[in-house]
Amino acid sequence: MHGRLKVRTSEEEKVKKEKERQEKLKVFKHAMNVIQNKRKKCELDTEQLDVTGQVLTKNPDIYTLWNIRREILIVFRSNLSVMEMTKLYDAELSLTEYCLKINPKSYCAWHQREWVLMTRSDPDWQKELALCNTYLKLDERNFHTWDYRRFVVSQCKPDLQEEFNYTTEKLHDNFSNYSAWHYRSKMLLHLFPDKKGGRPIQDSHYKQELKMVLSAAFTDPDDTSAWFYQRWLLGAVKNITQIVVCTVTPSKVTIAINNSVSKSYIKEKIKVIINNHEVIGEWKSCLGNEYDDLWVLNHDQSIRNHLDIKVKHILVDNEMEVMRLSELKPAIYVGRNKISFQNKYSSTVLDELNEQLDACRQLLELEPDNRWTLLTTAFFLHCVDAKAYHKEIIDIISTLINIDEQRAGYYSDLKSKWCMEDNIQENYANLSLDYKVECKKLSSLPHLQYYSFCEALDLSNQNLTSRVLPGLIKLQHCKKLNLSNNKLTSLQGFPYLTLEELNITDNPLIENHVEQLRKKLKNTKIFF
Amino acid sequence: MSFKTKDVVLSQTRPTTLLLQKHADYLASYGLNKDDFEYCMTEYLRMSGIYWSLTAMELMDQSSRMPKDDIIEFISLCQDSESGGISASNGHDPHMLYTLSAVQVLAMYDRSDAINIDGVVKFVVSLQQDDGSFFGDKWGEVDTRFSFCAVMTLSLLHRLDAINVNRAVDFVLSCMNFDGGFGSKPGSESHAGLIYCCVGTLSICKRMDALKVDELAWWLCERQLPSGGLNGRPEKLPDLCYSWWVMASLSMLNRIHWVDQEKLEQYILACQDSETGGFSDRPGDITDPFHTLFGLAGLSLLGNSSIKQVNPTYCMPQETIDRLRLEPQILLI
Repeated sequence: MHGRLKVRTSEEEKVKKEKERQEKLKVFKHAMNVIQNKRKKCELDTEQLDVTGQVLTKNPDIYTLWNIRREILIVFRSNLSVMEMTKLYDAELSLTEYCLKINPKSYCAWHQREWVLMTRSDPDWQKELALCNTYLKLDERNFHTWDYRRFVVSQCKPDLQEEFNYTTEKLHDNFSNYSAWHYRSKMLLHLFPDKKGGRPIQDSHYKQELKMVLSAAFTDPDDTSAWFYQRWLLGAVKNITQIVVCTVTPSKVTIAINNSVSKSYIKEKIKVIINNHEVIGEWKSCLGNEYDDLWVLNHDQSIRNHLDIKVKHILVDNEMEVMRLSELKPAIYVGRNKISFQNKYSSTVLDELNEQLDACRQLLELEPDNRWTLLTTAFFLHCVDAKAYHKEIIDIISTLINIDEQRAGYYSDLKSKWCMEDNIQENYANLSLDYKVECKKLSSLPHLQYYSFCEALDLSNQNLTSRVLPGLIKLQHCKKLNLSNNKLTSLQGFPYLTLEELNITDNPLIENHVEQLRKKLKNTKIFF
Repeated sequence: MSFKTKDVVLSQTRPTTLLLQKHADYLASYGLNKDDFEYCMTEYLRMSGIYWSLTAMELMDQSSRMPKDDIIEFISLCQDSESGGISASNGHDPHMLYTLSAVQVLAMYDRSDAINIDGVVKFVVSLQQDDGSFFGDKWGEVDTRFSFCAVMTLSLLHRLDAINVNRAVDFVLSCMNFDGGFGSKPGSESHAGLIYCCVGTLSICKRMDALKVDELAWWLCERQLPSGGLNGRPEKLPDLCYSWWVMASLSMLNRIHWVDQEKLEQYILACQDSETGGFSDRPGDITDPFHTLFGLAGLSLLGNSSIKQVNPTYCMPQETIDRLRLEPQILLI
């Protein structure tokens, strides 16, 4: 029951109301009885249409009654003339319209309307489109009406530019019409895809949309709709699957990818070659999934010193990327790719981003604590040059953690993500097997597959809670792991890792969890 | 014209503690009077009503107060021998929604033997389309809710392999939007309830990797309003049931800490009716079993220790999911 306020009434009123309801109930039960009896006797007739119609006008959600009506109309179709059927279909449309006035969110009534239009031979789609316009004037956010509009459009196929213009019109009426922003995103992808560059939208339209968002957002920055649309625009860049790091040791081969790929992708697109012989074996996701960003191959090769190991990766356009592994320690081979987390935009878009960044900065001077302007500024900075603006970005996010406490968890994890990205890029600049994550107060550990090759990883003095523990499975080659001075309470999700040393000192741990972990990691020296 | 956030204000006199016994009493007596107006008018969704009440009672550890034998017999009677599907009630037609509710109830009772399992599997399989989507019944309505119903029903019966899972996943992914969320079909606007259905489908099919996690979880945590309550879409009023749709989704994404859990708890508790028992959508509205389940399940996700642990994917007690050895996927963070 949605949105029905409980009203206090006197005893007298209560009795009166109950009497009314019992009357209604009697009528309802009688009608339902008639319907059920007629159905049992397979009486598919006009009377059944009448009775079901009467009940549905009071309660359009009784799905079975709509089914009965369809059964009747199907039987009638083979016996009645086209004209007679037209009348019946029109009546059915009137009934759904009546029902939708009572309950504009009735799935059943909307579906019946679709069914009638798809069943009759003479649907008037223009009339349906006009009906959508009327209904969307009454409630601009009813997603059933929007869905129905998309259905009608898919049938009558108007020029999609007109639909795009319709969203512009709706947005100029009210910028906080999220449904219109949504529909606009769909139209944009249909009308202006950047087929050549492989990006979602052509540059010129990209720029135009960013401008539209800005005017909406600056009309009132607390109106959230446009911000979501903007975030999408900023993220709409080309994404290429890339090997991040490959590690070969006497016990196993691992390959980390920048995003999740399927098992068949690994099998077909990636080859590990040792002294000109391809390594054969079954790839397994580190989590046992069909899709993952870290893959493990337990091989039967003998890995000695001075081997020639390379990885071949067949890219989208059938180009081949070859990565050579170097021996970092005797019989430990690592090959790392050039990595970057920086979104790449065309210069046209970049100019626009810089312009909008200036606008945000001006707005912040007037209203320094507006959370939306702050977050947007941080995202613009990140999009323009994450490395150069790193400190400023982190300062803004730290401010947001204080201003918008309800979402402090989100901002902390966003900060962690951007810090990790910065840290990984620094770490990847110098080759080692032993790293300390030099971030302040990480609350989560994104991109951990980038550290899959490490022998020692220092994650001490962060804000890590127990929820990050299952993710440590990505540290497939780790021997020494330092998690001291964090916020671990439970160790239940700790994965099976072949660690030599684990430091969990200075954590608010529950004592018996350490004992259980000892049983799990028998060969690990645990400091707690 | 200044923009105003749609929200409610919690009153000083609102309930601030969990009225567990009141809720159990409310559900135990719900429907005892077969001539109750509301009860009769909701016959077309009776099977789901039973699932809401029973799950809530299970979470409160008081399911023994439900008429177990009657319920099981009722479910058996609602299975259609021809299609294999299960209807909302006697005299209604079989449908995916009520087939799932029935299978969930029987899973909690550990009594799947009370129905023809092959019949249910046949019904679900018959409704999958070439594009991977599912009809709700033979009349052809397509909705991501039905995709979720299909994979949940089959996984509870350990028969997920009966359908084309890859295609089912592909269809759900074709409903992903610019904001990372999902709607009811390709092109439909994101909505927290349908996001739950789609994320749940991916959790059961172990394809959570395909999500745009950061965008989606951000959109979800922005559903929290100053009152602490959650809405289902931008610029809408809060509603208690979104405590479930949003929080269960965030749980599967391993990010419930992205909302203010203390304020949400206050909102959920404020939706209790201290006279009648039960929860409503917003403080002061009329209560019903649907919101009562989602209020309790929401509190369970927030770690309330007087309620049993709920599984975020299945919206059933974790102990049932463990007994069935199901391991829906939860993302790493």
